[in-house]
Amino acid sequence: MSNINGKVYAMNVVTPMKPWKTWFLRLIFFLLGAIKSKQQDLINLSFIEFARWVIVPRKSFPRPDERMDAEELRYDYLLFFSNFNGTWNQYIDAFSAVLFQGLNLIWMWSEKFPGSVPVTPFKEYISRVQFDTDYYYTAYPHATANDLKAAHIVQASFDQLDATTATCTPREFEAAYLKFMLQVQSHLGETGEPPVVF
Amino acid sequence: MPNQSGSLYGLTILSPIIDDESATPSHDLQIREYLANLPTDCKGPFALAPYTHLTRLAVMDDVIYVGMPSSEEHLKFKYLIWEANFDGDLDRYLVALAKTVPDQINAIWSHCVGYPGTANLDKFLTYMKSCQLETTFYFAAVNDKSLTQTLTALQTQRAVADFIAKHRGTPAPELQREFLKFSARLKAMPTPLPAAVSHPRGIKTGGRNE
Repeated sequence: MSNINGKVYAMNVVTPMKPWKTWFLRLIFFLLGAIKSKQQDLINLSFIEFARWVIVPRKSFPRPDERMDAEELRYDYLLFFSNFNGTWNQYIDAFSAVLFQGLNLIWMWSEKFPGSVPVTPFKEYISRVQFDTDYYYTAYPHATANDLKAAHIVQASFDQLDATTATCTPREFEAAYLKFMLQVQSHLGETGEPPVVF
Repeated sequence: MPNQSGSLYGLTILSPIIDDESATPSHDLQIREYLANLPTDCKGPFALAPYTHLTRLAVMDDVIYVGMPSSEEHLKFKYLIWEANFDGDLDRYLVALAKTVPDQINAIWSHCVGYPGTANLDKFLTYMKSCQLETTFYFAAVNDKSLTQTLTALQTQRAVADFIAKHRGTPAPELQREFLKFSARLKAMPTPLPAAVSHPRGIKTGGRNE
């Protein structure tokens, strides 16, 4: 079991849904995908590197060999996979505090979902429907989502300065360097080992 | 397309695991044991093969019963779940894995129903796609940069921080010369290996305001 790799935590959640409710959830995800402003809270949380929801209809569990028995289920299932920075408690607390409306819209179709506020029954529910990861790999274990965004800002500013340095005068370079410093100064935080969390 | 966000692809695969009562240990346990010993650093299969940002493998033993009044039900098979976030095209990614780390891929999926192996690429691709689930909603915090661009940017960020710290108060003409040398050195550096460990910068602290 390895839910953690460096600064990233892998969460897996599976919840049952009555099949007729699935269509409402599909519509919500369609709207969430189409209206980018609705994703702003998810972006603003800023500690999620990747997340996805997958609806598995009860008759659509993969059967790569037609001779194998088909699953016989009453429920469709909602799978949720998240890759986030920080601890499990921080993540659930932040979700509950910031994204409670969005979370309720997504999970209210799942059986026995208690709502994301208050947080105690919400955490109990997530604990019950979560299962562990057996292998977890990240190409940048020492960087958070914010580190990635910051690094790309630094790279863009560096490329911009570099493009003109060879041809400008020292006075022009001084002004350009000052501008560069102002652009990158808040994006130079150090990546490295994650803190030990108890 | 729901499986993609910008230039990134979110792959979700559910492979049914062979249910053989005569197998000891059972196939799901054999997968778990293999995965527990598979490296997650730069020697791991997803670091050796290109394009992977983050990936996970998990054995799902059963669906979860959440209590009354919902109905209790069970799966007939255990499933190996593979969730991957990578650059670009699905076929290119799967072929790269099959060609670069076939032994590891076969060791994992040989415990799954109907797995044909990596030797025949067409059959391998057909199998993986038959186990693929369409992602309903996919979110990536940074969805317009490749793995190479991200690893390079992290390297640049560290180098720029060092350069700035070392050249505080340097007169403009000398600073310009130093920057040109620094830029040339930085661009000549190879792209860092995925999953490589970065060492602390050794930031000096202890100023008056700290």
